[in-house]
Order: sequence, then structure tokens, then C-alpha cells
Amino acid sequence: MPVTLPDAITSRTEAETIALGTMLAPLLEPDDVVALSGDLGAGKTCLTKGVAAGLGVAEHVTSPTFNIMLEHHGRLELYHFDLYRLERADQLEDIDFFATLEAGGACIIEWGERFPAAMPEDYLAVEISIAEDDTRHFTLVAYGPRGERLANAWLSAVEAGTVEP
Amino acid sequence: MELAHMAAALEIENASFTTPWTPGMFADELAQDDRVWLVAIEAEELLGYGGIMLAPDAVHVMNIAVAASARGEGVARALMLALAREAAARGARRMTLEVRATNAAALALYSGLGFDSLGVRPGYYDDTGEDAVIMWADIARLTAIAAAREGSDIILAIETSCDETAASVMRGGSETLSSVVATQVDFHARFGGVVPEIASRKHTEAIVGVVDEALEQAGLGFGDLDAVAVTYGPGLIGALVVGVAYAKGLSLATGLPLVGVNHLEGHIFANRLADPELTTPLIALVVSGGHTSLIHVPDWGEYHTLGSTLDDAAGEAFDKVAKLLGLGYPGGPAISRLAEQGDPAAIPFPRAMLHSGDYDFSLSGLKTAVLTYVRHEQAAGREIHIPNLAASFQAAVIDVQVAKAVRAAEEYGVRDFCLGGGVAANTALREALRVALAARGVRLSVPPFALCTDNAAMIASAAHFRLRKGAFLGLEAEATASLPLR
Repeated sequence: MPVTLPDAITSRTEAETIALGTMLAPLLEPDDVVALSGDLGAGKTCLTKGVAAGLGVAEHVTSPTFNIMLEHHGRLELYHFDLYRLERADQLEDIDFFATLEAGGACIIEWGERFPAAMPEDYLAVEISIAEDDTRHFTLVAYGPRGERLANAWLSAVEAGTVEP
Repeated sequence: MELAHMAAALEIENASFTTPWTPGMFADELAQDDRVWLVAIEAEELLGYGGIMLAPDAVHVMNIAVAASARGEGVARALMLALAREAAARGARRMTLEVRATNAAALALYSGLGFDSLGVRPGYYDDTGEDAVIMWADIARLTAIAAAREGSDIILAIETSCDETAASVMRGGSETLSSVVATQVDFHARFGGVVPEIASRKHTEAIVGVVDEALEQAGLGFGDLDAVAVTYGPGLIGALVVGVAYAKGLSLATGLPLVGVNHLEGHIFANRLADPELTTPLIALVVSGGHTSLIHVPDWGEYHTLGSTLDDAAGEAFDKVAKLLGLGYPGGPAISRLAEQGDPAAIPFPRAMLHSGDYDFSLSGLKTAVLTYVRHEQAAGREIHIPNLAASFQAAVIDVQVAKAVRAAEEYGVRDFCLGGGVAANTALREALRVALAARGVRLSVPPFALCTDNAAMIASAAHFRLRKGAFLGLEAEATASLPLR
């Protein structure tokens, strides 16, 4: 059963969202999977930019919408998926999705909620919602013990450090 | 080469090498049946000479030298290519030579002719104790370069970087003998089945038929080709690997040399195909669903990427805004149509990075600004004027693209500017660019729509120029999703 953590993380600006990503990066271990959901413009790619920066990725993290998956070289390999353009679950095989999840890097998956059956047994889901005043709320949902540990560690890191650009 | 050339040859030989060949060695060589010696002569003056030995395993380059006064003029390259053609005519497949490890000019010449360094013989040269680098090349590489340099080369190009499976046969880099795109082929008739929609599976099922069709339309077979070219990045990795694997297999099976082309380079060459007058230096802007790059092209085959998008590609921004507005996905063309009826000044969307001083683009913030605007208007209970929003969004994209395009054209002093990629179909972008560039005396080139979207003819044209420079792809090369253009 997925566990929704009681505390949500809030971000007021893009810079804050990037900072949140950099705090998540050092906590990531090989084969960790983080799923991001939220409307277009919610900040999914922005959060991923922060994670990439925190992993020491040198190049710019561009949107993977067109390529479906972009790989970045950092402390861990970062596999950045965007499943938006896929039409059917069997197309996940075409993009080598399942092998990539277990390739020893960290995976960030945008629009993974379109294929719930394809998601791994244990991962962290981050649901981003946009409030009236345009702040972003990050709700953490743990699917399994590793997802829960990662969520708690991230929350602690965010509490310990002030989220400033 | 004949004995009559000996005196002049010895002069060049003695001036070129620390341990030159003796007259006896030359005479001995010329007398043997399994040797081919050629000379380069201009105005009755001997410029250079070279000789090969036709051994059963491979052709060995025995000697090659060029007069000091004629160096740097391509004499050595011409001699090597002519020797390769002689060897090919005698059925030889592989060529090998050794060269001093410190002779940078020779190493560059041979690697530019498709030779790979496959080993070192330590201390091979007695006079200095220098190492020899052992180089090998498929003779088909040299004969293909020779054909490309005289403009008679026939290239089969394959493109599978995204959603389209495409193949084209081209002569001399500009004469399109065929250009086939999978979606244009009646696969139901050819295979009696339907074609699935995406990526690797679609490409896998389509590629053989598309290549067959391209050869059939050109009226040629594999034996008529000089080289196989393939897009090896950037793009969808699962799609790229199909084209690359097929092209490698074809190269291995037929012995045809393999040329790798960058997809963005292809989009620049689409302009050249449509507009043979186009000359370098030029600036190219490639805008599509997957790319937004501004590229300086000082000469054909030479690229400096000045900037590219830091987040979303331009076409992607159009598609995502269309999605936000409920116009479906992909909906870029729908935005452009609606924009025609709207006021581009109605909503002041941000012009991201307009004054950043570099040539990079950022479109994610604009997308978010549109989202914020829509949410605020909805929260306030106001109806959104979709044409005004579309026009204002489009204007924000175009303003930045045009401003950076103009600045690049001025900074690099070019007279020609190319637009390429699917977004080149956007009339407002084309017109804004045309007007802004014309005011500065710069000509805008936009290919017809069929060449803006993905096709293999543009890949074949780019491959011709790679071939002229002897830039080959080894069988160990891999498809690369984010391949930089160099």
C-alpha cells in the first residue's frame, strides 16, 4: 500500500524547486526511482535540473518529452524519462524502460502515472500541485520501504536546510 | 611511373627522407609485376610519386613522396586515391602502410583517407629509432572518397532518429535519385499489414521495405553504391539504434564504407538541397519538436553550435501550450493558425533570455507563464481569448529567436541564413526572420516543407561532404541520443 507522508514540501519559485532537487540528489542510491506527476508547467523538469546539479551533471538538463529518455552522467547515471508521448504500455519495451530501471543509475520518471502497472515495486512518487498563489506543493507518496526512507530523508534535509535559491 | 621519371623522383626522394631509396631500389620495384607505381605530373614537372605492392592479404603502400614546392596542394591525397582505385580494379580489399609516429601531417592525411591506426612497431626506423604507426583502411573507403571528390558518389542514407523511417539514394550530394519516408509508402500493399506507430518496433518493421523502395526508385542495387550513411544522433535512442544497426549490418555484408551523420547537420543540408546557391559561411537555426539550435557554419562540414535550448525545444513549447489550451497534442500547428486571428501584443509574456548575451534559449518559463495566465484568468472568472493568447505566446517565442538570429548573423558577418526543422513551417517565424535579416542584407533560406520534416535526402547530402573529408563511422560506433554537432 502506498504511504502518503503527512508533510508536503512547498516551493514558491523555480529557484526553490531547483534547490529542492539538489537536496534530494545526495540521498539517491543506485536503482532508486522517483516518479514526478503534476500539470505541464508544475516544475517536474525544474526539480530534475536540481537533482542533476546535485549529482554533478555538467550539461544542461533539457526536457525529455521529445526523446522520451535522456541520460546524464553524474555521481550516478541519471535516467530522465518522460512517458508523455507513449501511447501504450507495450511501447515501454521499445524504449528499454524496464532494463533501464535496473541499470544501476537513478531514474526520474515524468508522467509515470500513465502506466501504473509498469512502475517498480518500490519507489517514491512526488505529486506536484499548484496552489491559488502559484506556489507548488510537493506531496510525497512512498511505494515501498526504500521509497519511504528516501521521502523521510529528503524531508529531513529540506527541514535542516532553508530552501533558498 | 617509368624509368624516365627516375631522375626527378630521386631529387624528391633525397629531399624528403633521411634514408632515401636508391636508384637500384626504384629500378627493382618498377620491374616487378605485383607493383603499381603512379606519378603526379603538372606542366611536365614531376610533383610526386607513390607505389603499392599487391600482396594476397592486402595492398602495401611502399613509398609516397611529394616535392616540397607542391606540398599542401592535395598531391599526396590524389596519388593515394589513384593508387586505391588501381588496387580496387585488381580486386584488392584492404590497404596498409606504416608512417613515422612524429609525422603529424602524414598521419592526418591518412586518417582523412579513412585509415585507422591499428598498431605501433617500436623503434622501427633505424635512423632515429622512431616508432612506426601501422595503419589500415578498407580500399572501398578510398574509392568512395575519390568518387565524392569528383562528385560521382552514390550514397544510400538512412534516417530513423525519431518517428520517421526514411531512406534516400543520392548522387554527388545534390542529385536526389530517390527519397522515401515510411509514412508515404503504402505498406498495406507492400506487406499486407498495418504498421504500428512508434519508435524501434515501427522502424524495425519498416526499414527493409523503405531501403528496398529507395533503391528500386533509384533503379540501383547495393553494388552500385559507394557508401552507406546513417543518422547516429541526436534523437530517440530506441529509434536511432535501429537505423545504426541496419546500416552497420549493411556495411559489413556489402563492404561499403559507413558514414555517420548528425541529424541537425542534415537539417542544414536540407537548405542546400533546395537552394544550391546557398554558400558558406552561414548561420543556421534548427527548430523542431526536439531541437532548438543556432549553429555557425563557416564551411560545409564545419559546425560551431552557438547556443541551444536549456529546457524545452520550440516545437515542444508550441505543443505543450496547445495541450494547456485543450487543443490536443501535438498541437503546434493549431496554435499558429489561431495566432493569425489574434493580437500578438495582447498579453505581455516574458521574452526569456532576450538579453542574456549568449545564444541559448529557454522556453520552459514561457510555458509556465502561459499556464499562470490561464489559471489567473479562470480564477477571476474571465473568458480567455484563445487567438490573442496564441498570438502573444507565438510572438514571445519568435521575438527571441529572431533577436538571437540577427545578432549571430551580424557577429559572424554572414550573408546567408538557413532555417530548418519542422517549426520552419511556421509562417510567422519565417516572415519575421526574413524581414529582420533582409534589413541587414542577409538572405533567408527555408526549404520546402517536405525537406523541413525528417527525411533521408538531407542526410545523404550531408554524408557526401563527410565522405569528401574522409570522415567515416567505425563498426564499433554507437547511436548517441544527445550527439553534439561539431
